[in-house]
Amino acid sequence: MNREHLRTLFTTKSARVNTNRGEEYYRELLNRCRQRLETLKKMPSFTKIDIREVLEDEGISRRDFMKWASAMTAMLMLPSAFTPLVAEAAELMNRLPVIWIELQDCAGNSEALLRSDGPKIDEIVLEIISLEFHETLMAAAGHQAEAQLEEAMEHFHGNYLLFVEGSVPIGAGREWCTIGASGETFEEHLKRVAKGAAAVVAVGTCATFGGVPAAAPNPTGAVGVMDIINDKPIVNIPACPANPANMVGVILHYILTGQIPELDSLLRPKFAFGYRIHDNCERRAHFDAGEFVEEWGDEGAKNNFCLYKMGCKGPMTFNNCSIIRYNESVNWPIGAGHGCIGCSEPDFWDKYAYERPMADANIKMAPGGGVEKSVDEFGLGLLTAAGIGIAIHAAASAIAGKRDDEEGGR
Amino acid sequence: MKGKQYERVERMTLFMRLNHWVVAICMVAAVITGLYIGHPYYQTLISEPAVGKYVMAWNRWIHFYAAIIFDVSSIVIAYLYFFSRFERPVEKLIPTGRNIREFFAVLVNLITLNRVKRFDSSHEDSFHVVYFTIFHLLLLWMLLTGLQLYVHGLAHGQSSIGSWWPALLHFFTDWTIWATGGTLMDVRMSHHATMYYIIVWILFHIYYVVWRTIFWREGDISIVFGGYKFKKVR
Repeated sequence: MNREHLRTLFTTKSARVNTNRGEEYYRELLNRCRQRLETLKKMPSFTKIDIREVLEDEGISRRDFMKWASAMTAMLMLPSAFTPLVAEAAELMNRLPVIWIELQDCAGNSEALLRSDGPKIDEIVLEIISLEFHETLMAAAGHQAEAQLEEAMEHFHGNYLLFVEGSVPIGAGREWCTIGASGETFEEHLKRVAKGAAAVVAVGTCATFGGVPAAAPNPTGAVGVMDIINDKPIVNIPACPANPANMVGVILHYILTGQIPELDSLLRPKFAFGYRIHDNCERRAHFDAGEFVEEWGDEGAKNNFCLYKMGCKGPMTFNNCSIIRYNESVNWPIGAGHGCIGCSEPDFWDKYAYERPMADANIKMAPGGGVEKSVDEFGLGLLTAAGIGIAIHAAASAIAGKRDDEEGGR
Repeated sequence: MKGKQYERVERMTLFMRLNHWVVAICMVAAVITGLYIGHPYYQTLISEPAVGKYVMAWNRWIHFYAAIIFDVSSIVIAYLYFFSRFERPVEKLIPTGRNIREFFAVLVNLITLNRVKRFDSSHEDSFHVVYFTIFHLLLLWMLLTGLQLYVHGLAHGQSSIGSWWPALLHFFTDWTIWATGGTLMDVRMSHHATMYYIIVWILFHIYYVVWRTIFWREGDISIVFGGYKFKKVR
């Protein structure tokens, strides 16, 4: 991961989550949002789909929709007075052209919003955005698809949101990944499509930090979008897969205010990545009590004990899974009995996802490969070396015997 | 030993000795509880409701208290390095010709098993000061990484003593993320690995003091208890 971004730690108030900015601030923001929505309403919609009809077809009542809108408002850390505006913004989603490209990935983020047990409002809202190009979802293929992308890029130049899924290979393996008949590499493709975007949204851990493709030894030299694009506003929505609710949150925020949400030092929206999973975990009491699952299926597991000893990384992972969960709060990994693997943190595959506590992780110490050594083994080795050294010195001292200056003076 | 005369030399003031033992106790407490936090090595699967046990919480409580006492003591020691009215270790740290010669003289004394002793062992020497400075740098690193790990839980920007505290912690410790490799986990690993360096340091520290006592025959071990050692009078 590019360390340049980490340097911004010094200059930004990156870590502080401010949930109350005072009445004055919100009143002004409310007015600004109202004006923005008025302007959007006057614009022609890019798709003919009306969310009210879709919701009705799916059997979701207006009441359910408003409940969802108030939950969204809370998620965005806005006062409840914003609820009608958030609902309105959701209805205006079809005013926002979106281009979605896939790079080195498993399409898991697309899947995340397609494969829920029934269409949730989050997913429906994502369906009605004006999705101009999406390799996995579109009917067109080959040259037709290419042409569609070119057209969308030209027509919506400077206005579209670019969603990127997957990492960018820039190392020795970059030529393994090309797209289209021209044999354009992923890096060239991303740069070209990003040129006309209003903002770039990197979705999933691959697009944000390189993710699984960037795991050691990173054969393709995979990096995240923010390591390639530096002249556009970038929003990172990591996690494997990214939570559709957070994608909707970012889009809603953009439609409401015309701006990207407040970001932390890793360019993640603070409303979603401001707190650790641990801070709001339902099993936190068991952590404090020292009640841990010792092995899968044991008495502790049956009693929902803390999964820290099974390698849960909730204490060092910033994400809102423990608050909003997945699929409209149906469940989430820790709720299902498996610890967090830290999938929204940089280098998560190498440094978080080993399903053991860090103290016995047995992960590589040397960057770029080499002998596998855990911190403990290394430490114990050092301790042994020091012990042996001391023993040798002590033995030698004993053999040599004590000598006073006078006796031994020569 | 007959015919030899000894004279008392003060080497540690009452405050220095108290500080030494406070630090020693904190160290042991921090290692014991820190290992539990890193990997809970004993089980608490007993038939009592969670609220009554609070085992991890107590471990963390002890760890944090040990750490904060440690941190404050380190600040005082850092001050005394420069402004002590008793002995200023910093004077032995400056790489002057005299200090460098003394450093190697003491090192030679150690590796020749006291065959060669060409320095005055009645006062604090350069080698010992350098060795202790390494310790304080390790402690400083533990302080910075530890407080960085601590501040992760204060994302709301508040604390019991005000919002300035987390802000201060971020300002002074966020660079450790960058320095250790870019993720929060790297800070954690570094914090854990540094514990081993400190244990190694302590191992040598105890060994060396005992060795000095045995070989120099000047009662070095009693410095930390009584404050005095003994100097041969010719």
